[in-house]
Amino acid sequence: MTDAARRADQNANAPLTREALADVIDLALWAGQLLLQHGAEAERVEETLHYMATGLGCEWIDVLVSPNVILVTTSSGVEFRTKVRRVPTLGVDMTRVSAVNRLSRRVVAGELDRATVRAELERISNLKPHYNRWLVVLVVGMACAAFSRLFGADWPAFAVTWLAASAAMFVRQELARREFNPLLVILATAFVAGVFASTAGLPGLSATPRLALAASVLLLVPGVPLINAAEDLIKGYLVIGIVRGMVGILISLCIALGLLLAMRLTGAWL
Amino acid sequence: MSGLGFLWLILTDALWSAMAALGFAVLFNVPVRTLWGCAMCGATGHAVRTLLMEAGLGIELATLAGATVVGFLGGVFARQWRTPTTTFTVSGAIPMVPGVFAYETMIGLLTIADTSQPVNYDLVAEVIVSAVKTALILGAIAFGIAAPGLLFRRRRAEGGE
Repeated sequence: MTDAARRADQNANAPLTREALADVIDLALWAGQLLLQHGAEAERVEETLHYMATGLGCEWIDVLVSPNVILVTTSSGVEFRTKVRRVPTLGVDMTRVSAVNRLSRRVVAGELDRATVRAELERISNLKPHYNRWLVVLVVGMACAAFSRLFGADWPAFAVTWLAASAAMFVRQELARREFNPLLVILATAFVAGVFASTAGLPGLSATPRLALAASVLLLVPGVPLINAAEDLIKGYLVIGIVRGMVGILISLCIALGLLLAMRLTGAWL
Repeated sequence: MSGLGFLWLILTDALWSAMAALGFAVLFNVPVRTLWGCAMCGATGHAVRTLLMEAGLGIELATLAGATVVGFLGGVFARQWRTPTTTFTVSGAIPMVPGVFAYETMIGLLTIADTSQPVNYDLVAEVIVSAVKTALILGAIAFGIAAPGLLFRRRRAEGGE
């Protein structure tokens, strides 16, 4: 891009051409997609799209954030363009949410042109997870075991919970990698956690086997959908809030079903 | 309870909460430099809740207070580490998730649905209590961590700047 073009791009008084508008809308949607996919709340998605588009020279942008679709119209002078993007939900990834958020702040400060933004979005899309999968297995098991202590479990139940939750996390990773239906993955994972955690009920092992069962499935708790749902509802994004709440409820039901199957199988009815 | 015993209770509570928050922070793939802040949020929020419950407050209001602390602390950390508040608030709120109440609701419902046994009305009442507690605690968490935004950022996204 020449210097003149770059100046024109960032000069709010000069309207963008149709081609430039198309480029801006593409970049803004890409950023919004990364956020919505990885667990950002609706307000942040909308806000970031505004930052991106106005920072790249649009006069205004209107955004509709749906549970799995983003719809935007950008306008500059008399020109306007509209685009819809389907956004399949992926796992929570705060590093990507954080990276897009920082990028949008640099854009709105006028530090970046469109080519740089595109390169940055490309880099963010290809980020590798920070944590080795075995570390995740270990630490998530530890988190569930810590939960069991918070609930008042004894040490044998603590150990069983750690084991059960780690085994469940491993199964979850394996099933998710094979791209099974997300709800089926939850159900199977809860089942595995339940089967392992039931061993806490063996005679003479633990006085609090119930707490081991309750804690070992917590790695599946739909914390992000439910908290986002409540936040979206409070802030007036009703549709996306209701859908996220429904997702949270469905996940909870699948956890219950998986646990029920495990308890019927092992005969633990606690 | 003796003063030392009380201190021990709060400290262990904070420690286990920090571990729970840390585990979930890793699961959510938060940036490595923010892990410490996530653990701090988890520990502080849950310790505040336990403190207030020891002082005689109900679990719902204590959760609201704890989550509000997480919300404000998350805001401070977010500025310090230049990361969205959600990173800290979601991980920090995790230890307060009503896991046992949710579990008792589910298992209770399934027990009631077992028609080979006569209906146990005491259990029905217990399930209703657990379900309401679960919902109220979740609501308190959400309101608490959203509190800073609701109180100090009153503006609407629509319309002009």
